[in-house]
Amino acid sequence: MDPRAWQRFRKNKGALVGAGLVIAVTLLALVGPLAAPHDPSEQLRDVLLDDDGSPAGVGAVAGHLLGADSIGRDLLSRLLHGGGVSLLVAYVATTIAILVGTTAGITSGYFGGLVDTFWMRTVDLLLSLPFLLVAIALVRVLDLAALSPAQGEFGLRSPAFWVLVLLMSLLSWTSLARVTRAKTLQIRELEFVQAARALGMGHGRILLRHVLPNVLGPIIVLGTTLVAQMIIFESALSFLGLGVPPPQPSWGSMLQEGQALVNDAPRLMLFPAALIVVTVFGFNLLGEGLRDAFDPKD
Amino acid sequence: MTAWIVRRVLLASVITVAVVAGVFLLVNAVGDPAVATLGPNAGPEQIQDFKQKQGLDQPLVVQFGSYVGVLPCARPASPRHARGERCGLLQGDFGQSFSHDEPVGAVIAKRLPRTLLLGAVAMFFELLFGLGVGILAAVRRNTWLDTGLMSVAFLGISLPTFVTGPLFLAAFAFRYGWFPLGGYGVDFVDHLHHAILPALTLAILGAATYARVMRSELVDTLRSDFVRTAAAKGLPPRRVVGHAVRNALLPVVTLIGLSLPLLVAGAIITEKIFGWPGMGSLAIESIVNLDAPTVMGVVVVFAVTVQVGNLLADVAIAVLDPRVRLDRG
Repeated sequence: MDPRAWQRFRKNKGALVGAGLVIAVTLLALVGPLAAPHDPSEQLRDVLLDDDGSPAGVGAVAGHLLGADSIGRDLLSRLLHGGGVSLLVAYVATTIAILVGTTAGITSGYFGGLVDTFWMRTVDLLLSLPFLLVAIALVRVLDLAALSPAQGEFGLRSPAFWVLVLLMSLLSWTSLARVTRAKTLQIRELEFVQAARALGMGHGRILLRHVLPNVLGPIIVLGTTLVAQMIIFESALSFLGLGVPPPQPSWGSMLQEGQALVNDAPRLMLFPAALIVVTVFGFNLLGEGLRDAFDPKD
Repeated sequence: MTAWIVRRVLLASVITVAVVAGVFLLVNAVGDPAVATLGPNAGPEQIQDFKQKQGLDQPLVVQFGSYVGVLPCARPASPRHARGERCGLLQGDFGQSFSHDEPVGAVIAKRLPRTLLLGAVAMFFELLFGLGVGILAAVRRNTWLDTGLMSVAFLGISLPTFVTGPLFLAAFAFRYGWFPLGGYGVDFVDHLHHAILPALTLAILGAATYARVMRSELVDTLRSDFVRTAAAKGLPPRRVVGHAVRNALLPVVTLIGLSLPLLVAGAIITEKIFGWPGMGSLAIESIVNLDAPTVMGVVVVFAVTVQVGNLLADVAIAVLDPRVRLDRG
């Protein structure tokens, strides 16, 4: 990696703001569930719903800072828990996409021939799939809600989580494969790779020690923007009622639930909407800054 | 060029068939259309009867061959095809919908034009705002106006439709009442009126992307020699910019071609939010109802659109830019 990249990155205000947002949102996701004052799934109808069924507003009931959602659950607690789920899904799915995409990209670029044909035709095929449609169909057929064993257990240990994550990552590693392949094609021809070959170094070691470090830049850049896309993807599925199964909160499903009461309690929609946008914006900004740092045009 | 196009079309066809086969397998092997349609309380005889009528008791290969139209019809329920005739895609037959009381082809024929109308209005907004903002920013590059417009465009690429759609609906339909709350309307003018909010929702991402690409391309082009010559020759600035814009349009045209299928498939969420009864809504309805033939029909239409869009983009580049030589490689 280019040592000047860090200096360029540090001077880029947008990139620093993006990094700040990403760190803040990640911290919120990590600490949020612990800091949440209430159980996000518990319906406190007696306390938080008026006689006519309308939810308590911001600061209306002591101990419930942001009020309640339409069925009397503490809004702040749901927002804090929902972020954790969204980001966990996005980070894990991105990691898997990076592993698959990088493996495909560097082996295609390095070995060429049949390996290359196999991976690149797979990429072509995936790219011509109606992405969201296939995802929705798969999620519906596999029935995530039926896979989650009990209330509030959607996480690293539930099958539904892994189905969702694998599905998202298997549909999104294509751009990574293309970019790392192109970069590997250049690196393969450089002298130090030829020298390593001549000295009798094995293919595996060359890929890990010489090729991989040189494609890390684009991987980091693409990986960052991929997290943003994964967050949008998960929120979209949850918004359609097909992602994170209820009653577990996710920003996407909260947005969808909030739509019903948009006139009386717009905050039910505005809070999750704002959090999604800030998160996606942060990752995009960071990705753009990293791109400028690793690959300066001028 | 002709040889290249032929090869390109062949590749596109192979990919389309692979996609259709993959989704067919997904719908018919992973899920069980009979159980899905009849519900969990259906008895085994009922299920068996349904399977036999729809040809679902045949081997998957036979079903797929029949669906594509290379093997005789596997659906005894279809009276028109009683004697070994074919009833597949190649004959223009998408099969019978399980949830609508119509052939899938008829349902799609009703829904597709609506989605195309929505897509056209969205494309209009994308080009209007995208190119307008991009050109303005490039001409006024490195001023506060440029910075401001590009910041807005950057925010635009971070705004998912499921965030902006409900917000537009809440603000411009609920609160101010300028637009209907959703649906499709009764005549053409009414359709357009209904289309504006969902089209704007759809257009944000595209417009922001075009604006960013247009600006960066135009900034590069404005620095090139032929632009300097044109200006030195004494051409009025407006015409100089005109020259440059034409040359900077190429990558935008590529993007437009690639985004055509997005306007069809990307409208799934937007159509749902606004209750626009097009292909996107049809996709969701049929998936939720596990209406296998309709899901397949929607997928076939989308897969073909993606391939045609990509193909058109490639051909458009080749025609617009003589430097692109297709015969090599």
